[in-house]
Amino acid sequence: MDEFNDNEIGKLLRLKRYEQPPPGYFENFLHEFHRRQRDELLREPLWRILLERTQGFIFRLDVRSLTSYPAAIAAVLVCAAVISLKIYQEPGAANVVALQSGPALSTAVNAEGEWTLASPAATRIFRAQPLRSLNESANTHRAAIPPRYVLDSVPVSYESTFRF
Amino acid sequence: MSRLSDFNRAPEFRSRFRFVSLCRLALSLFAAFGLVRLVRAQEESATAISHVKEVFERAAKAVVKIHGVDEHCEISGTGFFIDPTGTLYTAYTVGGEAGNFTIDFNGKRYPARQVLADIRSGMAILKTDVATPALPIGKSEELEVATPVVAIGYPLDLPETPNFGMIAGFDRKYLGRYFSTTHLRVNLPTQRGEAGAPLLNMKGEVVGILVSSLENNSACYAVPIEAAEKIRSDFVRFGEARHGWVGINVSEAAKQVEGSRAEMTQIMDGTPAAGSGIKPGDILLQVGRKKVHEPEDVLDASFFITAGDTVPITVMRGNEKLTFNVQAELHPASQRPPLIASPTNQAIPLKLDSEVQRTP
Repeated sequence: MDEFNDNEIGKLLRLKRYEQPPPGYFENFLHEFHRRQRDELLREPLWRILLERTQGFIFRLDVRSLTSYPAAIAAVLVCAAVISLKIYQEPGAANVVALQSGPALSTAVNAEGEWTLASPAATRIFRAQPLRSLNESANTHRAAIPPRYVLDSVPVSYESTFRF
Repeated sequence: MSRLSDFNRAPEFRSRFRFVSLCRLALSLFAAFGLVRLVRAQEESATAISHVKEVFERAAKAVVKIHGVDEHCEISGTGFFIDPTGTLYTAYTVGGEAGNFTIDFNGKRYPARQVLADIRSGMAILKTDVATPALPIGKSEELEVATPVVAIGYPLDLPETPNFGMIAGFDRKYLGRYFSTTHLRVNLPTQRGEAGAPLLNMKGEVVGILVSSLENNSACYAVPIEAAEKIRSDFVRFGEARHGWVGINVSEAAKQVEGSRAEMTQIMDGTPAAGSGIKPGDILLQVGRKKVHEPEDVLDASFFITAGDTVPITVMRGNEKLTFNVQAELHPASQRPPLIASPTNQAIPLKLDSEVQRTP
């Protein structure tokens, strides 16, 4: 540092005042800049290049805003599944028939009235109790599926010939 | 005064006055007669409506909705009690091929079981172990075309519903195919769910069972109650329906003999008729109590034959009227080992051949 005192530094600066870039330097500046940038990039490993490009792509798409759609759909599906399970297993609407003649045939609703995730058959609890009235079973799950109301348009049998 | 004197003086005025008076009297009588007829028609109409209402109110308690499960889904139809022990008549389409039967009766649901199903007649019998009201059995033979009838059914998921109509005909065939027995065609609107509904006369007696509808559900066919009673009688006697036959084919004769055009064309081998003495070419006059005029009459005669029973068959051979007693066998359409009911309703197989005594 001692070699470069203020006077020497002043001389050097005065010399620099007369330095000029080579001809065409400013015209090629941008091209040269890109070339050097590419050279710099090629020195990095491939996985890093891919990672950086992927990151750049994701940030350009703004993925955060897109993630709200699948989340909403998933929430709706879960709600639907829960509601359908509850309706299917509604204790007051067990699709069983209260039968009078034998206690073994008589069925009743789930006494606790709780929702369960068990199959509908598992919610049937047999007990020897009097009949349920028809009004009680009016809004059963099976009642939602109408039965086939019978009245055919053709008779069930015909005779082939006049014989007896 | 002067007018009176004119009247006394002019005989033509007098006769004209009498004519006008007579006309007025005739018009008044005509109007009064019309009025009386109108009032009477209204009264008759009101009476008919009140009859329908009365029949409905009396019979509806014995008509029930039937639920069952067939191989595809739940089914729903109509039936009615015919005795106080819970025996039900319904259509074969309701009680024939389904199971797990229940009935809605008095606001409650009771289990029911199939006692008998007969596809040939198109009816089925169910039973529930409850004391029930019952509909009286009438006679469909007393019905005529245009006789008013009432049906009570359970259309769709609706409560019991009366339908009012009239007998439109007695059909043996529909769309070119022959029924097993004469069916009642009834001009009475029907809807799905009313198969098995009772057809009632205006006395409230059952005369038929609704089995099928015609186009647009504006009319329907009913099995006559006698056919259902025949099946029930078979069940009481033998534990099953036993349609009988003797093995004779009949076709139309070239000419009418003794009022009949039914000519026997074939006596089948190995049948009761084969050894009975009846020959092809004989003209059939009567089977049991059923008189035969046309080959189609054989359908009814055949339907009411019970296997094992002796059937008197009257024929015309030349100028000679002959009667043969033939013991009927089980109809080929219902060939199964015949059963005889035991007191506990458990049947014992029996071969009919051992009992048949052929009439020479």
